[in-house]
Amino acid sequence: MFRLQRRSWRFIVGQHRVPFLRRRCDLTKISEMPAVARGFISNLDLPVVYDPSWTQPLPANKRRISIVSTAAVHRRGDKPFSWLAKDFRAFDKTDRDLVMTHVAVEFDRSAWQQDLNTIIPLGRLEEMADDGEIGSVAEEHYSFMGAADPVTMEKSARQAAARMKQDGVNTVFLIPI
Amino acid sequence: MCGLAHYFESEGLSTVLVGFVREHIEAIKPPRSLFLDFPMGRSMGKPNDPVFQKKVIREAFDLLDTDSGPVISDFSEVIPVKDGRMGYALPPELVLSVEDIGDVDAVLAEVKAEMAALRLDYEAAVAARGRTTVGASGLEIEEFAPFVAGFLNGEIPQSPRRGMPAIPLLKLVVEDLEAYFTETRTHRDSIDDLELMGKWFWEESKTGRMLLLLEAVSIASDNKVMLQIVEMSLMAPRFWSEGPLPGTSAAGW
Repeated sequence: MFRLQRRSWRFIVGQHRVPFLRRRCDLTKISEMPAVARGFISNLDLPVVYDPSWTQPLPANKRRISIVSTAAVHRRGDKPFSWLAKDFRAFDKTDRDLVMTHVAVEFDRSAWQQDLNTIIPLGRLEEMADDGEIGSVAEEHYSFMGAADPVTMEKSARQAAARMKQDGVNTVFLIPI
Repeated sequence: MCGLAHYFESEGLSTVLVGFVREHIEAIKPPRSLFLDFPMGRSMGKPNDPVFQKKVIREAFDLLDTDSGPVISDFSEVIPVKDGRMGYALPPELVLSVEDIGDVDAVLAEVKAEMAALRLDYEAAVAARGRTTVGASGLEIEEFAPFVAGFLNGEIPQSPRRGMPAIPLLKLVVEDLEAYFTETRTHRDSIDDLELMGKWFWEESKTGRMLLLLEAVSIASDNKVMLQIVEMSLMAPRFWSEGPLPGTSAAGW
């Protein structure tokens, strides 16, 4: 039965069992990161997945797509995220007055300040829907706090999934910050 | 993010994700992943570059055409990061102490003047973009600097926002201050350079200096949450620095 559990990252370093469709060799690696980040990222407790699901995607022109961001963005008037929030915020595809209450400061904010599409590409998806590259863009999109432990997010994720299915969504585009 | 993909997939939704830490993707094995070797905070690569953004989306969505998985693909382009760090980092040696604070009113006056000088350019940026990210704290722009200055006296001021304690609010105000500066400058000077923006705000501006004084106050504080902010690098950008802030252990992580 599918479940997510915690296991220390330290025990699974070095496992590479996922097939790569395209692999480069010159990419940024944790081992080459500066000290503070390297220590933090390499000591994260990552979840272990048992019996993962596979949902066969529909053809491109049938895909109704919802974005899930872990940038902890939300509508201006919504409650800010707490530092390890396991809940989510929803926003409409037409919302542009979004703010960010992510606890971490290690990522650049100047890009999304210039263009929301840099982290939540609603404009691009709408264009692709207009061009027939995808079926449609969902009415609602979702944001989580990326710093939180995913094992604590199951209930929220399933709540968001229920809302997506009510809106006819069949495809989720997950975008970190 | 990778864990969330598994939840959605188990709900009968097909997922595809983009991600910045390939080792994590390899470990958690979400069904379909596109690895991006970009600075963090730029998931679609480049602001105001629809062609590049669509290229990222298309390479990600191509993975929805595979019949089995999990699959990982590396995006076909790299946006170089500086010295292995995926965001701006303060120079480790740039550390202030509480002895550097001096007259708090003078510090505040300098910051107010600096912010006032940017105000018209900030408003022009907001008008041009039709949006602003400033205001996550819920405070007015004029309230940002006085609220931070209140901490420089070594006390925790009362939160002006109902339902939000002073220290979490402080973190949002710090980010509002930086956003006020960077939104202004990226528009006014038509530049998109995260290293330059970080250096300008944190190393060269009076407001950045005030926040480094706030960091010094935090290190010296006997308040656990104030200490946590610096131990975990939640305020000043030291996550990508070579070594922890002096006086802290980075043990919070």
